[in-house]
Amino acid sequence: MQKANAIEVNNITKKFGHVTAVDSVSFNVSEGEFFGFLGPNGAGKTTLIRMLTTLLKPTSGSAIVACCDVVKKADAVRREIGVVPQAMTSDLDLTGYENMDIYGRFYGIPAKEREERIIYLLEMVGLTNRANDLVATYSGGMRRRLEIARVLVHRPRILFLDEPTIGLDPQSRHVVWDFLRKLMEGDSITIFLTTHYMEEAEALCNMVAIIDLGKIIAIGSPDELKSQILGNDIITLTIVNLSKSIINTIEKLPFVHKIKTDDNSIRIYVDSGAHNLPALIDAVRTAGGNVASATIHEQSLEDVFIHYTGKTIREEEAKKVSFLTGAGVPSKWGR
Amino acid sequence: MGRLLAVIERDLRKFQRNPVVAAMSVLMPILYLVILGNSFQGKLKDLPIAVVDHDSGPYSRRVIENLRAIESGQKIFSIIYIKDQKLALDGVRDGLYKAAIIIPHDFSKRVAIKKVPEIGLFVDNTDGISSEAIRNSVQGAIRFIGQGYVSIREKQDEIYLRGIDLYAKVDYYQSLVPGVVIMAIFLGTLTTGVFNLVMDRFLGIDESYLLTPLSKSHIVAGLIISGLSITTIIAALVLAVSMLITGIPLSKGFEQCAAIFLVVALTTLSLLSLMFVILGRVNHPRIVGILSGFLNVMLFFPSGAVYPIASFPDWLKAFAKVNPEAYAVDALKAILFKGANIQTILGDIAFLLIFTSLMTTTAIITFKRTL
Repeated sequence: MQKANAIEVNNITKKFGHVTAVDSVSFNVSEGEFFGFLGPNGAGKTTLIRMLTTLLKPTSGSAIVACCDVVKKADAVRREIGVVPQAMTSDLDLTGYENMDIYGRFYGIPAKEREERIIYLLEMVGLTNRANDLVATYSGGMRRRLEIARVLVHRPRILFLDEPTIGLDPQSRHVVWDFLRKLMEGDSITIFLTTHYMEEAEALCNMVAIIDLGKIIAIGSPDELKSQILGNDIITLTIVNLSKSIINTIEKLPFVHKIKTDDNSIRIYVDSGAHNLPALIDAVRTAGGNVASATIHEQSLEDVFIHYTGKTIREEEAKKVSFLTGAGVPSKWGR
Repeated sequence: MGRLLAVIERDLRKFQRNPVVAAMSVLMPILYLVILGNSFQGKLKDLPIAVVDHDSGPYSRRVIENLRAIESGQKIFSIIYIKDQKLALDGVRDGLYKAAIIIPHDFSKRVAIKKVPEIGLFVDNTDGISSEAIRNSVQGAIRFIGQGYVSIREKQDEIYLRGIDLYAKVDYYQSLVPGVVIMAIFLGTLTTGVFNLVMDRFLGIDESYLLTPLSKSHIVAGLIISGLSITTIIAALVLAVSMLITGIPLSKGFEQCAAIFLVVALTTLSLLSLMFVILGRVNHPRIVGILSGFLNVMLFFPSGAVYPIASFPDWLKAFAKVNPEAYAVDALKAILFKGANIQTILGDIAFLLIFTSLMTTTAIITFKRTL
């Protein structure tokens, strides 16, 4: 049975001056889906989520969220959604309970219902015994959990999370993940999440869109996306004296689907990596190659990202950082 | 309604969690009263002036006698006798003396033969207020030199002016109280109301407002009302303490209190809504810091709280006509010192009401509901 769409986005575009942050993006999210928006920092994820949650007006295009158009009926959309922005937005001068209570009153939820709901949600995120402490005394992980609990007070149909685990330690991250999974099982809620952590999208989402430079470059379930790359494992070899003839030798091996070289390391897309690694190294040695190191890893969304953009997410980010600090001035400005 | 109350309660709770801010809001305006009262004191005392007498004749001695009378009576200046004219003049240039009086050697002679006698008065005219005071009192000291005597009959011919005060005497400190209350209101409206929005924006937590179904008027009105309740209480406390310190009586009891409360509340609303229009889109508290000094001068000094509006040039008078603080000062002075009732200050109340509604409407229209 075809599920109804919770979110429909049509050619949505946002320009800031001459910079196009989101470039004519279209996609649908079905009800009950856990939808992940994956991409490096600066790819346009936050701009997109802000347009879908009525915080920014699109330059062109449109989006229907929950029930209505995000521009024409922003108020109706706001009633149906819960949004956890990237920044923590709880009031530090108020207690956890007060934060949730006042938020619930913004939605006009009756007192009794509000109280029950808050007690239930605080229990769910494990903050019951800290409910009456000022948020200023909370740790980062606790604040993040409070953020999520708070925006669920009015029982939203769609939950938006912008980088929900950014800046959290691995343990806190897993607590948040578990909570989100529990939420998907319990309530009939649609979750829309942005992240630049591959493993987060892979661990949580049943639908993923990869975004880079404001455009969607791939969309599908994590498995579908991965299946578009040939081979199920990737072997990375570092060969000190990597040469054309060695590369030719590797390409001709029957279990090798595709290779990518970068200086003297070479990424080899293969079937059954562990089984074929000895044969691969033998072949390289026979051809005169000096193998310095070898790693095998299973295909991940990271590889999908590399497959579609030709670069790793980390490279993308490094480029931006160095551009900002001036450490890597682009070559067209003479360096 | 419940939503509006939630916006208000959030603000009030946050204020309650910062008792230092609350205490400072009350203390600072009262300190203003003390500092302002003493720094704007009308009377000058013991200004050092040098006197050089080249003449030593009978008339120059009379001039010096008159100067000494002022020295020991009104105490405006204290006299230092110097022989060397150059030393005296250099002293004025170096700031040792505020003025130097030079009596030339032919002074007594010229007085006697009635040939335009002259005395040199060199003043440090960079200090306008002091030099003007010295000029006036020295003028007084030499006015009747050479007339010999003042006849009693002449004195009888003069018309004697009998001053009659319409109201109880208002001393200098008391006259500053309305200004101090206005200052308390100004400070309160700058640190509540729209400032909370600026801070939320700066901290990046304004999204928690914008993402909810609160309307623009909920947010604007909620912030203004919470600012009103906090500021009115602060201003009332400041007023009560200032009245106790300076000894202003509450002659008419409840009616007077009610009138004061109404004026304080309306002034607060006027300033809160004005701040909302000015700061509605500001996202950094530093901008508020810069603007606060500017706005304080712009609103407070042309309000008539320190110096009467009648003394202003026309363009500044015109500005005072649209300055809510001027109406507030006028109304408070009328209630506190003239025992006026609400009918008497209806004009001020009407202006403040119209100003508030105009500014609040503008604030709601210009407030941005998106990031």
